[in-house]
Formats: sequence, C-alpha cells, structure tokens
Amino acid sequence: MTLTLHTGPTPTSQSPRRRAGSLGWHLGALAVLAVVLYPVIWVLGGSFKPGNEIIGSLQLLPTDPIVANYTRLTEGIAGIPISTFFINSTVLAVGSVGGVLISCSLAAYAFSRIRFAGRNLLFALMIGTLLLPYHVLMIPQYVLFQKLELINTMVPLLLGKYLAVDAFFVFLMVQFMRNLPKELDEAARLDGCGHLRIYWSIVLPLCRPALITSAIFTFINAWNDFMGPLLYLNEPDNYTVSLGLKMFVDQDAVADYGGMIAMSLVALLPVLAFFLAFQRYLIDGMATSGLKG
Amino acid sequence: MGPTVTHTGPAHAPPPPTARAEPPPVRGHGAHRPAEGRRSGSRRENLAGYLFMSPWIAGFLLLTAGPMAASLYFAFTDYNLFDAPEWVGLKNFSDMFADPRWQKSVEVTLKYVVIGTPLKLAAALGVALLLAQSRRGQAFYRAAFYAPSLIGASVSIAVVWRAIFTDDAVVDRTQQLFGMNAGGWVGDPDMILYALVALTVWQFGAPMVIFLAGLKQVPRELYEAAEMDGAGPWRRFWNITLPMISPVLFFNVLLETIHSFQIFGSAYILGGQGNPCGPADATLVYTCYLYQQGFENSRMGFASAMAWMLLIAVGLVTAVLFWSQKRWVHYEENAR
Amino acid sequence: MRTSRHVERRTFLKAAGASLATVGLTAAGCGSGSGSNGGGPVTIRYAWWGADDRAKKINQTIALFEKKHPKIKVKTDFQPYVDFWKKFNTQAAGGNPPDVIQNAVTFLRKYEARNVLLDLNPQVQAGNLSTDNFRAGLEKFAEIDGNLLGLPVGSNSMGYIIDEKVYDKAGVTPQFGWTWDEWYAGLEKIKSKTGVPGDAGPHSIMYYYDLKLRQQGKAFFTENGLGFAESDLEAEWTEAMKRIRSGIYTDPKKAEQIKPKAATAGALSAGEFTWDNFTVRYAAEGKSSYGIAPIPTTDGKKTGQYLGSLMLSGTARTKHPKEVATFINFMVHDPEVGRIMGYDRGVLSTTGQFEAFEPTDKVSKQISAYETKIAETGVLEPITPHPAGADVIESAFLRLATEMSLSKASPGEAVDKFFTEAKTAFTANA
Repeated sequence: MTLTLHTGPTPTSQSPRRRAGSLGWHLGALAVLAVVLYPVIWVLGGSFKPGNEIIGSLQLLPTDPIVANYTRLTEGIAGIPISTFFINSTVLAVGSVGGVLISCSLAAYAFSRIRFAGRNLLFALMIGTLLLPYHVLMIPQYVLFQKLELINTMVPLLLGKYLAVDAFFVFLMVQFMRNLPKELDEAARLDGCGHLRIYWSIVLPLCRPALITSAIFTFINAWNDFMGPLLYLNEPDNYTVSLGLKMFVDQDAVADYGGMIAMSLVALLPVLAFFLAFQRYLIDGMATSGLKG
Repeated sequence: MGPTVTHTGPAHAPPPPTARAEPPPVRGHGAHRPAEGRRSGSRRENLAGYLFMSPWIAGFLLLTAGPMAASLYFAFTDYNLFDAPEWVGLKNFSDMFADPRWQKSVEVTLKYVVIGTPLKLAAALGVALLLAQSRRGQAFYRAAFYAPSLIGASVSIAVVWRAIFTDDAVVDRTQQLFGMNAGGWVGDPDMILYALVALTVWQFGAPMVIFLAGLKQVPRELYEAAEMDGAGPWRRFWNITLPMISPVLFFNVLLETIHSFQIFGSAYILGGQGNPCGPADATLVYTCYLYQQGFENSRMGFASAMAWMLLIAVGLVTAVLFWSQKRWVHYEENAR
Repeated sequence: MRTSRHVERRTFLKAAGASLATVGLTAAGCGSGSGSNGGGPVTIRYAWWGADDRAKKINQTIALFEKKHPKIKVKTDFQPYVDFWKKFNTQAAGGNPPDVIQNAVTFLRKYEARNVLLDLNPQVQAGNLSTDNFRAGLEKFAEIDGNLLGLPVGSNSMGYIIDEKVYDKAGVTPQFGWTWDEWYAGLEKIKSKTGVPGDAGPHSIMYYYDLKLRQQGKAFFTENGLGFAESDLEAEWTEAMKRIRSGIYTDPKKAEQIKPKAATAGALSAGEFTWDNFTVRYAAEGKSSYGIAPIPTTDGKKTGQYLGSLMLSGTARTKHPKEVATFINFMVHDPEVGRIMGYDRGVLSTTGQFEAFEPTDKVSKQISAYETKIAETGVLEPITPHPAGADVIESAFLRLATEMSLSKASPGEAVDKFFTEAKTAFTANA
C-alpha cells in the first residue's frame, strides 16, 4: 500500500498547438472575467467620483477623478481612527478561523470516521440546525448571552465558532473526509494509531483543501458579519468594519456615499489578502493518488 | 474563553496512551455513512466519538437546541417580544396560510430558488473547471473570480447593483443591442427579482472554491488512463470528473438550495429605501417577510411559525436530496 | 397599571439589588436601585441614530457634560435609523436597553405600551429636570396619559421642497395659503413649460395625507385607530393614479430606480413633500438650488402643520433615573450644547439653545426662517402621539401606495389591503 502525494502541475510539452490552446484559454477566461468584474470596476471608479454623482451613475469611470473619498478616511469616523475597526475585525475573523478549524474538523472526523452510537441522529440534528433561519434564534440567544453578562464582548460572536455551531463547515469537512480512502485508517490502526493520531497526522493533512476552504469562508463571513456585531457590541470603540461602514449613511444626514464606497474597498483589502495568501494552498492542494484498492 | 481552551486541548496534545491501544478494526465493513443505519461500535468507539463530538454537542445544547425549542413554542403563541407569550394553538399557521403576503413570499422564494440555484451552481462549476486547469496566472484568476463574493451584502453592492440595472445603464444598453426595450430592472416589479438572481449568481465564489477543492482531489491517473483509452473531454467530464466530485456537488446543491430558501441580506439591501423587500413586494423573499413580521411588526409568534414552516419545507427538500444521493453520489468506498 | 408595575419593579430591584451587585454589574454603584449614587462614578448608556457627522457633534456635547458632571460617565452607541431600531428592539426585549435613547413620535406609544420608557415626571418634581423655556409648547410633545416620556431636542415640520430653478423657469411662485387647486395648476404649468413632472407623487407619504386630513378637521391617526374611511383614501389614490398617468407626477419606475436619492434631487420632479430639516440632503445630493415652499391648503389658511420632533427618552429599567434626568436636562437646555448641535436634529427646542445658535449656512437659515414663519402665521396645531403600531402602518402605507402606482394593484385593492394590514397591526400592538 502506497500513498503518493503530488503537488503542482505536471510539466507539459509546449507544442504550438498547446500554446494556441493556452492563448484561447486566457482569452476566454478574460472575457468571462470582464463581465464578472464590471461591477467591481464600477465601484472602484465610483470611489474616485464626488459623492453626489455616485448614486445611479451611468458612467463606469469618473470623468474627473478625485481622491477626496480616500483622504477623508484618514480623519476616521465619529472620531475613531479607521484602524480601530480593522483591528477589531481582524481579531474577530482570526479568532473565528481558529475556532472553526478545530471544532468543526473534530466533529467532522467523528461523523465520517468513528462509528459511535447515535451518530445518525446527531448528524440529522446537525443538518436540522442548517434549516432554521437565524432570525428566530436571535432573541433567545441574545437573552442567553445577556444572562451570562457577555454583552459588549466578543464572546457571543466567537463562542459558537469554538463549539462547531457552523454546521455548514462540519458538513463540508464530512464530505471531504468521507472521500478519503478507508485503507488509510486501517493501515494506521494496524500500526497502533488511535483516533487522535489518525485525525491529526493523516486525515487533517489530507483534508487541507477543505480546511483552507473553510478558513477562507470563515474569515470572510466573520469580516462581513453585520447582525452579530450590531446586536452584541455596544461601544463605537469595539465596532467592526461592517458597523463602521454604516456610519456614512443615515436618513437624517447628508449621505457620504463617496466615503462609504472608498471605505468598502479598503475593507476589501484584508479579505483579499487573506484569500490570496491561502488560495495558494488550494492550488498546491494535494491530490491523493496511487492508492489502488 | 474557558470552554475554548478545554476543547482545543486534545487537538494539540499527543494522543493519550489509552487511545493507542485500540483493537484492530474489523475488516470488510464496507460503506460507513451517517445517513445509513449501522450497528453501533464498541464502547471505545463510542467514547472516542463523543469526545470528538463534545464541542459540537456543547454548542448544540447551549446555543441551538434551546433557542430552537423556544421558537417552536413561540410558533403556537401570540408573542410580541415584551409581554409573556400567550398560547393560541394553530392560529399563527391558519393566519399564515390565509395571508396574501405570505403566499406572495412563497411564490417569490420558489421562483428565486428554482431559477437562481441552478444558474449559480452552473456558473460556479463552469468557472471551477476553467480554473482547475494548470495555467499561468492562476492566483490572479482565482482571486478575480472570487472578488465579487468577498464583498458580501454591503450597501456598496446595493449602490452598484441598482446603478447597473437602471435605465440606460449597461444592462439596459446590452438589451437594446438585442432589440429588447425593457428598461431598467430595479424600478420594475416584474424584473427586479431577476436583478436579485443576477446578484446571487454573480457571487458564485463559495461553491466555486468548493468545486475547485473537490477537483483537486481527483486522482490525475484516472484522466491519464482515460485519455489513453481515447476518451474525449466531454466523456472524461461525464465519466470521471462528475462521479469523482459528486460528494462535493451534492454538498453544493444541498447547501445552495438551503441558503437560497433562506436568502435575506442581498434581497434586503437591494429593495431600496422604504421598500426593504422590493417595490410592490417584488423581492419579498420568505425570510424578508419573516423578518418584517417578527421584528418590525413585533409578531414573533407568527414569525416563528413561519420559520418552522420553512424548516419543514426545506427539511423535506433536504430529505429528498439525501435519499437521491444513493443514485448519483459516489463516495470513496463505493467508487472502487 | 403603569404605576403599580413601577412599584413592583422597584421593590423587586431593592430585594434583588444586593445579589445582583455581587454578580458584578459593570460599573460601581450599580446596586443602589433608585439612582442615588454611592460616591463612585455612574455610567449611563446613550444610544441614538445618525451618521459620522452627528457622532462628532454628540461626542463634543458629551465631553462637555462629563466635564460639568464628573461623577457621570456616558457611553454612546449609534447606528443608522433602521439598524438603530432593530438593535433597540432586541435590547429592550432582552431587558437590556440603553439608559437614554434618541426617540421619535412614531415609536412613542409602541414602547410606552410595553413599559419600556421612563416617566420623567418624578424627576421633574425632584428638580432634576426642567420643562421650562420650551418653544411653542414642545415640552408637552411626549406626554401620554400624564406620563412624560421624553423631551424634544429639536423641532421640524412638514414642508414642500422645491427646485427653485425649475419653478423660476416656469414662472410659478408658491404663496403662503395657496390652495391645492392653485398648487396643482402650478404643477401643470411646470410640466408644460419645462417638461419636468411637477411633483414626485405624494400619495405614498403618510405625513402628507395627514396634513390634508387635518385641514378637513380629521387626522391620519386617532388615539387608537385610523382617522379616515376607506372611501377617503380610495378617492385620494384614484386621483393620484390619474396624475401619474398624465405625467404631472413622476413616473414611479423612475423614482424607484434612483432611490435612495430623492426624486427632486435627481431632477425627476420639481418638488415633493418632506420634513423641512431634510432640505440639507437636497442641497448636497442635487445639482440645482432648493427652497422650502409653504404647504398648500384647503381653505386658504389652515395647513394642518404641527411641530414634530426628535426627543430624548429614558428607559424604565435604568438603574440611574436621576443621572438620566440630569443628562437629558443638560442636553436640552445647555446653550453650549445648542451651539454645538445646531439644527442637526431640527430647530433647537428650548429658547436658551435657540437663541444661542446663530445659523450661518443657507440651509439652516432657510429652515429657521420657515419655522419662524409658520409659527408666526399661527397655523401650528398640537400633535396627537401616534398609536402603537403606527410605525408598521406607515410602512404599509408607503408600500401599498407604491404597489398601486406601479400598477400592481388598483386603488381599491390597495386601500383594502391597507385597511386589513392596519387592523392586524393595531391588534398585534394592542
């Protein structure tokens, strides 16, 4: 029994036909990309337009680009430097990633590779938690955290991540783990490994694409989460970027759409960086092979 | 974060001695899936199972089970969030079925799910297949295709989406090229739902990444062998790729369907000021109406009844999908 | 009923006070129940809606307050309007509302009915809060059944915002006391001379219809219901549909498309009904110059206008009613606060603050002049606080009028739906 892992592309010969195919591929990809990125470019263009020209603007790019929307951000919002929002969001997002990776993979391992009594029932319950809209759980959860005196802390926003409440990720990891060859466990067991060792040394490394995927989603979700921070954070100093973004527009005031759009683009940078840093592992993601049953 | 520390502990610690001394596994027990009934394992397996499950169980009991039970109870009460809930039996359900706005919300949601979900999944799979090929600049392409999904349901998205679907903007112009004179979509109650569908499809990054991860797990030898047998790209896709990524496809179909039924954020921001669920209720998706009833109209009992109705409906759809996976989803054990 | 609940709550608090305090409520001195602070500083939470600009002003006023009252610390929390109420509702339902909130008349009875708001009368009697020196009887604004549920920080009134350039070009000049017929003739003239629809279509604005009803001696709301009949509204909406079809009112699809921009700011109409303090948005969003015109009348005199207002309210669960009263008192009376806030939340409500602030920008001057003028002409009427459920009914009115104007319902159907939904809303809030 052998297990080969290969990373990266196998070198291919560069025949003229292949090169033509490659050019075609790039042209095709860029064409699709142009459609997909049109709205993003619109937002980028909008961030260089004066605030009162943004709503309903028919032009993709500004005629007279201005940078005031960005320089305005250095003043902070409501007397709070922008960096405060970014730090809070980073703490929340990184904390969430850690929690989800650990707790969800533990549960997923149990669901996919341990035969314990009541597994099917628990699995059905877990799927059940996906089905109820968040809004009806909101008030009871709020009351609970309030009784625990945890309002205005990050605990209500993080606790669930460490307790595998995100069934989405548990289920995602289950789907990946179930697809790993059973022989791996059996070989490891013959070598005397327990579940913890199999989980940590065999299953987790092989599930890296699933873990990275979960990490990316968790980071983005936590970064963009609005309802949680809205309900649980009570002081502007604790606000996250998603709350800060809302401070540009209110019905009573002159809406600063320029500032808001500029801020939303700046807010995109950390998630984009996170994605770029980790999608590398998706590219290098391992393909299991050489295992013939 | 007390509980966190206790639960993260075992993951990092070396395996305890007892865990090593496990009996050799019973051979030949075949498929091993949660959806199937199975004899329970040994005591040791039970212990290990519950240890691994303990964070989830704690989270379920503390954060989910209680609130879910509460909402089930509220569904049979008249509850305005402030005064004690008053038992009304099935009244919320009968009110709901008789309510024309509820009927409208069901209609809008079904339309949205049926049109939007397949389109989004097709876009995600198409782009994932494109990007699964090893080409130069992959990092760029992946990030660029994912970018729309990074933005979430923010106000900026509402602003840009309304702008490109307005009269004489890019979408209208494109339609005019094809001789259609439909005008902008966002002010038109017959069209705005399609603008919402377009927004959903546009944010196809999540299923795309999951497809990509799945495609990465497909052993390359299979393709090489098929190519040697003279299988063309279409047959390779149909006979190798699709079966091999079927667990991931199943996951995406299931989750996107569930999410589509629960769509809220993007519908809520797109509708415009004063009409959070669209002009003339054109984007009154189920959760949007549930939210309005529960939080704006303070009818938490009614909203809870709506939530449980949704749970039952989506539960049925989920059950059908799980049942169907026997026919088309290939797990590793079955594949060989 | 209300008072007895208060007594119960207070006795309960006294009994539970000690144990609660030991559990470790945030600030020191929390357990002292009725608010006499035991020496250490007391922290109160103050939540409001608004954006960046208002936040900066409010932060300044709080710094000023804390300097003058070193034993009271104020922590703020703010969101935009919709999110603010979402959050407040959750907090109030969870029994954890802020001590002081910015409040509006639409929500007054809703939260009064649920005992969320603090009666400030005992604090007035104790001398912690003064109801003197309010302009135009504004101190009575939030008094319901003898309970004082808030004090106004600023006043505003419905006005008619016009695009001055379009009006000039068409040669139409609005006059105080102009009638609805004169107004509509003006709209027709504007449409024929400039091609711009005369009005954005007022039929979806509850406060506009309220003015029209008041001019006929009715009102949109009674103390516990609607103040008009289905036939009244059907006539109003049927006429509106005619005007939309003739192009005198803006094409609803176009108006819908440019939201959140107002139709008049987007050059889709020559004018529209809105709150006078929203004028500031038109100047910033639009490219023309904008003015506030008088409200048209039925009899050449009565406009039906009243002063609306944002107010500050305390919440009933606060452990520091005295500090809450001290804070509200400072915010409504201190002249320096008036100078800092300006007309951000409407024309300043107490004479001390009103006189302390001298508007310098064009828009503030316009608003000030407008309110002075309507006060002088003596058209102002007292307001009746909206019944519980008014917020729901206002959004149903807007939604159904839009549904009708987009030809998705006939006027008759829309009116039917409106009355059905209004009934549900009153029942749910009863």
